[in-house]
Amino acid sequence: MADPARMKTNLGSAAGPKAEESEENEVGDKGPGGSETSAESTSQQIIKDDAKMEHPKETNAGEDEDEGASGLNPPASKKLKVDPEKKKEKRHKVDEDEIQKMQVLVSSFSEEQLNRYEMYRRSAFPKAAIKRLIQSITGTSVSQNVVIAMSGISKVFAGEIVEEALDVCEKWGDTPPLQPKHMREAVRRLKSRDQIPNTKYKRTFFH
Amino acid sequence: MAEEEDDPTFDEDFDDSGNGVEAGHGKRKRLFSKELRCMMYGFGDDQNPYTESVDILEDLVIEFITEMTHKAMSIGRQGRVQVEDIVFLIRKDPRKFARVKDLLTMNEELKRARKAFDEANYGS
Repeated sequence: MADPARMKTNLGSAAGPKAEESEENEVGDKGPGGSETSAESTSQQIIKDDAKMEHPKETNAGEDEDEGASGLNPPASKKLKVDPEKKKEKRHKVDEDEIQKMQVLVSSFSEEQLNRYEMYRRSAFPKAAIKRLIQSITGTSVSQNVVIAMSGISKVFAGEIVEEALDVCEKWGDTPPLQPKHMREAVRRLKSRDQIPNTKYKRTFFH
Repeated sequence: MAEEEDDPTFDEDFDDSGNGVEAGHGKRKRLFSKELRCMMYGFGDDQNPYTESVDILEDLVIEFITEMTHKAMSIGRQGRVQVEDIVFLIRKDPRKFARVKDLLTMNEELKRARKAFDEANYGS
């Protein structure tokens, strides 16, 4: 079932889009089992870097307007040229570190952890079924990118529920496999945090 | 209680006492049973998750997709679902937002790589 050799070469090849694909699969997702903390902190770092990438673009736009207003032409334009380059290099370096850390982590996995990790990375919703589902709701055809985006988000959504259900299971002193009562409690908790979209029932203030 | 009113799907799980046919959502054939089992194992559940749990999760995912689709149809270009609408709806959730951006970026890269590869083959 698990093919560690194949998986290691996937991560080993630092060049090419595949490696970035395997790395960026980790972004925002928790690592399995006990290896959660390191993966989580690095994934949080990546999220922060993503947020930082948005900001330079906005500040640059702001600086464009300042340029015309205050007349600080040379320094502002120099800043514009340097900043995106620096941020790009910094981000590239962070990716490199991320890739190396992931390689070290995955190389130290046990057999069972490798199996689970492979399932985590490879499992996906079938694009055909998702496309059929969306088209049956809209009545019109949808582009391929929409299907890709929707399956990706749905996988993250499923992951959030399973993680919360595992928290509930542990808190209640039960063991996996997860039972429906854990899933329902997980949904109830996520609903109170507004992480589950719901347009059917409006919440009134004071019952 | 308010929660039970909000979740009619779960009431159906209560009613179903294992005869294999559920009312309402369950009438539809199970779309993602195999994939969801692998996914649950990957996310930390047991290697053989309970069928009832997989069913609950499938109903939740289908409801999620339905909600997102309806919301996307109501914003931007009405009646159509576009990627920009999905990205807009997901903007508050950091995990999902980052994931969507990565997926779309990677898709572009792969398309470019495939195109360059095909052109190289065609040339030689």
